[in-house]
Amino acid sequence: MTELLQQVVEGLGSGAVYASLALALVLIYRFTGIVNFAQGELAMLSTYVAWQLVASGMPFWLALPVTLAVSFAGGMLVERIVIRPVQGAPELTVVIVTVGLFIFVNALAGLIWSFTVKDFPQPFPDGGLDLAGVRVDWSTLGIIGVVAVVMGLLYLLFQHTPIGLVMRAAACNPASARLSGIRVNRVLMLGWGLAATVGAVSGVLVAPLLFLEPNMMGGVLIYAFAAATLGGFDSPVGAVVGGLFVGVAETLTGAYVDVIGADLKVGVPLVIILAVLLVRPQGLFGRAAVERA
Amino acid sequence: MSEPTTERTEAAEGAEQPDFLKVTDLHAGYGQARVLQGLDFSVARGEVCAILGPNGAGKTTTLRALCGMVRGRGSVTLNGTQLLGRSPEQAARLGVAHVPEGRGTFNDLTVEENLRVGAHLRSRRRAERAAVAADLERIYGYFPKLRQRSRQAAGSLSGGEQQMLAIGRALMLRPSLLLLDEPSLGLAPLVTRELFEIVRAVNEEERTTVVVVEQNAQLALDIAHRAHVLEAGRLALSGPAAQIREDGQVAEVYLGVSVSARKTG
Ligand SMILES: Nc1ncnc2c1ncn2[C@@H]1O[C@H](COP(=O)(O)OP(=O)(O)OP(=O)(O)O)[C@@H](O)[C@H]1O
Ligand SMILES: [Mg+2]
Repeated sequence: MTELLQQVVEGLGSGAVYASLALALVLIYRFTGIVNFAQGELAMLSTYVAWQLVASGMPFWLALPVTLAVSFAGGMLVERIVIRPVQGAPELTVVIVTVGLFIFVNALAGLIWSFTVKDFPQPFPDGGLDLAGVRVDWSTLGIIGVVAVVMGLLYLLFQHTPIGLVMRAAACNPASARLSGIRVNRVLMLGWGLAATVGAVSGVLVAPLLFLEPNMMGGVLIYAFAAATLGGFDSPVGAVVGGLFVGVAETLTGAYVDVIGADLKVGVPLVIILAVLLVRPQGLFGRAAVERA
Repeated sequence: MSEPTTERTEAAEGAEQPDFLKVTDLHAGYGQARVLQGLDFSVARGEVCAILGPNGAGKTTTLRALCGMVRGRGSVTLNGTQLLGRSPEQAARLGVAHVPEGRGTFNDLTVEENLRVGAHLRSRRRAERAAVAADLERIYGYFPKLRQRSRQAAGSLSGGEQQMLAIGRALMLRPSLLLLDEPSLGLAPLVTRELFEIVRAVNEEERTTVVVVEQNAQLALDIAHRAHVLEAGRLALSGPAAQIREDGQVAEVYLGVSVSARKTG
């Protein structure tokens, strides 16, 4: 039992990372209807920015907000320069553009920082808590805490600020939003900026566990896709629940299903994606596509 | 209530700014499809103008050209300011509120949030906050059903309630020009009548200039000062609402528009 709980705790830790990247995917999907395949790579780029700042002597907890601000600006810039020109183009075109962005960012990071792995500082102290025999590392608690704070801030932004209201209106009905005087293009930029910021959090959280290198987020992105698919691509709450579920499912199958073990557990998200698409394509919290009047 | 027709015509003649909205040689369309082929008309400040016509005549396109949803050629000025070449968000900032065909409410947002979005241009100014709150009350006064459902998602409202909400949201902008595209679409006659009475009240109380497109010509003519019959992208008939109603027989025969004195509701 303790052993099982131990695995669950660890699963929640990595699940929180998947949840934050899934949250970034969902944000962009909600605002633009785009599935952003480059989300993980943008997060990786942000992580390098954080690494560079720390390597040049900045304390981690100062480097973090600077990184988030840079990511926010970068996300807005990507929308303006890369996505805006293909606005309204067929879905496949946009998908290919985000895949292209994926490849470009990956190569760019390799060019600047090379493909050799770098050690990323662990922001949380060593050690942890002992809860009735279950060991909870500070780092696990820290990750879950940070993701909870991010969620809370997003909730406050969207539900309790005028700009959040305007953003939700623009996501819900862009044509009517424009008729109400909302500059929808700016809202889209803001959405990409926010998503890049949330993605940056996931990159910075996962880097100490994985080592920093340009391909670091590839695996995480697949788990995040599974999380968003499971939760529903248009549901932020779904992204978080889905992320935690995927994280726990990953550790449990890795630990208890012998045929899978550590090597095959990457298959878990793919199985989840497939199962969801077959049984409930809109995900747990998502809405089935309905024609809008 | 007094007999509407005479009252309306007088108001039109008494208007101090006959060219408040001035449309000159307006052409508009969608890509290769040229829909509007040179419209000329003016709406005086504080007037209600009805645009009638058969399906596909270009009524919706006319409103879309006025609010920047489709590109137009020619000239459209509101109080002297050119509207053509502007985006819908810019037009909104100039005081044009358009209630599109088929409602266009924010279905994920609550009723009150919908109304607040309508006022978002104003509510950014601190001094306007109290006025926005007062306007919310004013809208709830016009549409008591919306107050009852203020915390409900707009998507869960009935069609009539959504139409009320769409109009309420447009009014929250405090527009100087209100464009209504078939407000009666899909509504029960009684609801439609109520809605038109409210549009009339708004027009009388706030002196909001209104351009309303309607299939239900009878209703539109009841609240309008002037009317235009549009056919195949051109104005086929223009004049005071009362006169158009009289010429209704002509319109019916040649345009297939029912403007005869058949009472609805
Ligand atoms: N988005 C569009 N793309 C291409 N053509 C369009 C579009 N919208 C309308 N049209 C065409 O423009 C013409 C006029 O359409 P419009 O919607 O202005 O008519 P309407 O007078 O509002 O008709 P209705 O009473 O049916 O609403 C029609 O022939 C229509 O096919
Ligand atoms: Mg129409």
